[in-house]
Amino acid sequence: MPGIDECLLQAMVVPGARGATIVDWTSGLALGAIGESPGGDVEATAAETAEMARMATEYRSFSPQAAQPPGEAPARQGTGAKGLPVEDVIVTTSSGYHVMRFVETTFDSSVFLHLWLDRDTGNLALARLRLADIAERLVLA
Amino acid sequence: MSTPTAAVSPTLTRLAEERATGVLVRDHGALYLSDGQVVHAESPAAPGLDVLLIAGGRLGRTGWDDAVARAGARREVGRFLVDSGQVTGGELELCHLAALHDAAFFTLGPAGGPTRFRYGVAHWMGSIRPVPAADVAREASRRRGLLEALWPYPGVDTAPLRPAPASPGASRRQRALLALADGVRTPPAIARVIGRPAFNTLVEVRRMAAAGLVETPPDPACTPRARLPDWVPDFSDDPDIALLRRLRDALEASL
Repeated sequence: MPGIDECLLQAMVVPGARGATIVDWTSGLALGAIGESPGGDVEATAAETAEMARMATEYRSFSPQAAQPPGEAPARQGTGAKGLPVEDVIVTTSSGYHVMRFVETTFDSSVFLHLWLDRDTGNLALARLRLADIAERLVLA
Repeated sequence: MSTPTAAVSPTLTRLAEERATGVLVRDHGALYLSDGQVVHAESPAAPGLDVLLIAGGRLGRTGWDDAVARAGARREVGRFLVDSGQVTGGELELCHLAALHDAAFFTLGPAGGPTRFRYGVAHWMGSIRPVPAADVAREASRRRGLLEALWPYPGVDTAPLRPAPASPGASRRQRALLALADGVRTPPAIARVIGRPAFNTLVEVRRMAAAGLVETPPDPACTPRARLPDWVPDFSDDPDIALLRRLRDALEASL
């Protein structure tokens, strides 16, 4: 029975992992956290990454249906959030990588996994694939 | 966050320190504690875990009712839902945490009335992922600050949601809310229909109000009440006798 803690532990096994959190990007709440946090403040990091993630999901430029006229985009309700507009947000800095992977749930939610990696020991491509897998297993049986 | 944790409810802090088990009840909701940690929360303003799971189609109403009937007495409904394969452990934790903080936000509100605590009470949901009481209190106060920072007009939280005449810039998740705005439904009512935590709905509503996508009702507390001209109170406050007569006649005629 994988839960929040098991998924966070799996994220910490990714090479170069320094810290991982599960964040609700509407409220900015950290639902779970493990390891280090940039700046040492889990809640502040959660609020900032939530803002970043939210903007990525809202900007029309990043929407897969960007070609559609704005009025025709279907308002999804009650059918789950199949097909999230954005898969992940990646930020690279001189000392690390940040991968934010959106979690697709059958109920209405706004959750993503944030993995912070060391620049020297982390592998961005590998981390992205592993995090995608972990995000999927968080909600699948 | 630098907010002092004790600010929201000193009672909650004391209960956490004495590792109390029971239910804390205020005007707008209840927090269930086990060993000083919050294991469940309920508020009429926040959709419950059942609403969140069922509205999205993850779970059927019969599946939920069955779980409550079969595992409610031994207070293991959460575990039963997972063990019977109706939801996964991750889904249950995510959804339950969302519901817990949502209900706690309304329960711990500033005008929440007196705080009562009954020792020994446990919720039938069972323990899913306990949260330290201090974390719950701190999160509730952070949420209040967030709403205030987004758009400091609490009137939009409880008034029927009214889209502004032209609202083209709404996001995908905001459009889902606007689609349910029928001039009657308030944000908490829409949250219930769509199966989204009420606080998350309020965040979107305040953002939309700040962006001019929905109307902000005039706040009675903020607008100074205009004084009536002196001649108004001079009017006789007798009821309209003629109207009452007509009503009586109509009622008698319909009997």
